[in-house]
Amino acid sequence: MAEFNTSIKEQGAVSIINLKGYLDAHTAPILENNFVELIDKKCFQIVVDFKELAYISSAGLGVFMAYIEKIRESNGDIKLSGMNDKVYNIFDLLGFPLLYEIFKSETEAVQKFTEK
Amino acid sequence: MNLNSLKINLNLIIWIISSLVVSAFIYRLLFFSSNSTLFFIVNDFIVFLLLVVLILFLIKSLGKKNPHPSALVLNIGIISAFVFLVMMFAENLLNIQIKNISSNLVHKGILENLLHTFYGLMYLGIAGYFFAAYKELYFYKQQNRKSTYFTIMSVFIALSALSNLFFNAEEYQFIYNTFFIISIILIVFNSIKISWIAFISKKEKISLLILSIIISALFILNLINNGKADFNGTVLMTFSPAIYQLFNLVLIYGAVYFLVLFFTTLFHIPTAEAYDRKANEVSSLQFFSKLITQVLDIEELAETITDITTKVSSADAAWIIVNENGDNKILSNKNIALVDADLINQYLLKSGICEKITETKICTLQKFENKSQLSEKFSSLAISPLRAYNEVKGYLIAARKNELIFYEEDKTAINTFSDYASIAIENSLLLEQSIEKERLEKELDVAREIQKKILPSKDPKFENLSVSSVFIPAFEVGGDYYDYFEIAKNKFAFIIADVSGKGISAAFIMAEVKGIFSSLSRMLESPKEILIKANEILQQTLNKKNFVSALYGIIDFDKEIIRFSRAGHCPAILVRDNSVEMFKPSGIGLGLTNNILFSNHLEEIKIDFKENDTIVFYTDGITEAKNKEFEDFGEQRFSEILIEHSNKSVNQIANEVIKDVTLFSRNHSQYDDITLVIFKWHKKNNIDGVKEWQSSTPQLKNKVL
Repeated sequence: MAEFNTSIKEQGAVSIINLKGYLDAHTAPILENNFVELIDKKCFQIVVDFKELAYISSAGLGVFMAYIEKIRESNGDIKLSGMNDKVYNIFDLLGFPLLYEIFKSETEAVQKFTEK
Repeated sequence: MNLNSLKINLNLIIWIISSLVVSAFIYRLLFFSSNSTLFFIVNDFIVFLLLVVLILFLIKSLGKKNPHPSALVLNIGIISAFVFLVMMFAENLLNIQIKNISSNLVHKGILENLLHTFYGLMYLGIAGYFFAAYKELYFYKQQNRKSTYFTIMSVFIALSALSNLFFNAEEYQFIYNTFFIISIILIVFNSIKISWIAFISKKEKISLLILSIIISALFILNLINNGKADFNGTVLMTFSPAIYQLFNLVLIYGAVYFLVLFFTTLFHIPTAEAYDRKANEVSSLQFFSKLITQVLDIEELAETITDITTKVSSADAAWIIVNENGDNKILSNKNIALVDADLINQYLLKSGICEKITETKICTLQKFENKSQLSEKFSSLAISPLRAYNEVKGYLIAARKNELIFYEEDKTAINTFSDYASIAIENSLLLEQSIEKERLEKELDVAREIQKKILPSKDPKFENLSVSSVFIPAFEVGGDYYDYFEIAKNKFAFIIADVSGKGISAAFIMAEVKGIFSSLSRMLESPKEILIKANEILQQTLNKKNFVSALYGIIDFDKEIIRFSRAGHCPAILVRDNSVEMFKPSGIGLGLTNNILFSNHLEEIKIDFKENDTIVFYTDGITEAKNKEFEDFGEQRFSEILIEHSNKSVNQIANEVIKDVTLFSRNHSQYDDITLVIFKWHKKNNIDGVKEWQSSTPQLKNKVL
């Protein structure tokens, strides 16, 4: 079956969540837990890297919506990076580029945080 | 002769015994003074017959009661002690009594004879009981109940006894001796076979050890007291030489048997504990295997497992930890406080002792730094992995206190048991899952039912526009929704939407969306305004995680135009003059963001219809349909098919698209709902076209492949 896992690394004040595999309704809770964890630790500067993500479903997209409000209220943000064309298209269709900053690479996204 | 094969009615035996006893008395009273050989032969015949019948009777009644060997041994001991006492005091008592009473009697011989007969019959009874008891002991727990050896021995004992009667003279001594020696050899041979000793508990073995040596000593003493020159010997010899000899042999058997029993028990004592433990294990396993089929509740099962673990491994405490979504929780604990178990768990999981264990592992708590915090002094642990679906789901831990520690040999028992426990837990989980699955399936049935009622039951018919739709639900109910609204005489509105999520929650959102759009479509006449209003409502009501992608359009028959706005939905595809054009006006999905941002980015576009324009709306179930290589069907393939069949009727086009998608994803299950809505514009009143959709529409609607 489709597998999904995440890994979190810290780069200064920025936390980077690396997604791998298939993010859908069944695997979405894993990512949700990651966000809850980071918010609990008051890490509000989050980059989600999609480099190794093969597929995302609407339920997977919903995860980002669930926490963005809270994170932005705390002067943080979720920035997205490294999407392949297919994943980008899904985000684009829903108008996500209007809601999130999407970068080509993880470094660019992290840089954006540090520039501020 | 097989003693078991003789089936004799018990009542009859009692009658025979009684009559034989009476006849023995009468015979001896009548011919008491006779000294002829014939007298002895007839006397011994009666007596021996009595003995044989008595033994058969005793064997039968003992076999019926099926006494425990320890009880039999105790009985034999009591009787032999009684015999010993009788032999000690009989001479004095009997002689004094006879002298006292007989002084008043004419025939003092009669009384003496009477008493001697009584005395002899008593010994006969005792000998009979001993013999029957020996037989019972001999056959107890004997694997192959071969009676040959015992029968041969019985025959030789009988022959030896009878030879004492007939071959008492000097010249025939060798015959008597031969039988006697063979009997003794057989007695020794049969005494060695004591198989039942292994099956009794340690406690019983210890008492048996003492008992057997005492009984053996009593038998030897009795044997010594029963010499031919002694009082007993003389009385018994006069009563019946055969019985005398038999009694001696029975005493020898007893002496040898109990001596052997003593040594056998002595050698069994060191292994007695192991036997006890094995017996305990076996009974626990039996108990447990019964429970496997009974327990439906995982927690109840866990309780039982810990309870039996303490018994099987003679542990002081036991508990189960299971890993659930990364958290370790204690499923059940026996004889240990939760706090203690938690402390030990933390130590075990942190120190990595539990990692990668495939079978029971013994470890001590010597290195456990928080040992002093434990309320009880646990010292040694046996950790067993609990597997389900070949994955370690948790651990079964047994603990011993103080100086008691687990040894390697304790491992096997716990290991076997934890295997059983794993299977039981796996079964329990499977059961739970199948119940959950059934519940989910019921839920999905409800969701499908809702979706079916929400979607339009038929496609509308218009003069200038043919409409065809196909909806194929996914197993899990994907949340696709489409609808038609007749808003004015010359206007027709439609919506196609995809609710995020699946199952019953998606079905409920779908119902809400239907409600919103059917009311908004009557109030507002601009797709953009309607979507903005819908976003406003959904933004408030939807859970943050949920959103709806939608495309709302209005066709104006008078103006021959279509206007639509897209809120995060798949683009519209226009097929015109053998080429396709994608229309993807800007727009964010409904419920994703606040109304300002939403309306700022929402576009509305207008397309002027041309003759034979085909415009296609769809959900991502089509473009994201996958083949077995996990490739998407994609927009490219979709466009190609649309161009290829653009000259056909809307129903035919829909058919071709669905056929291709189905063929493409035939080796992959349909994950999402598929919805396809196709419009075709006929400015000229195309009679053929009208006919076409009128006749073919019904079988295409809500088509389930």
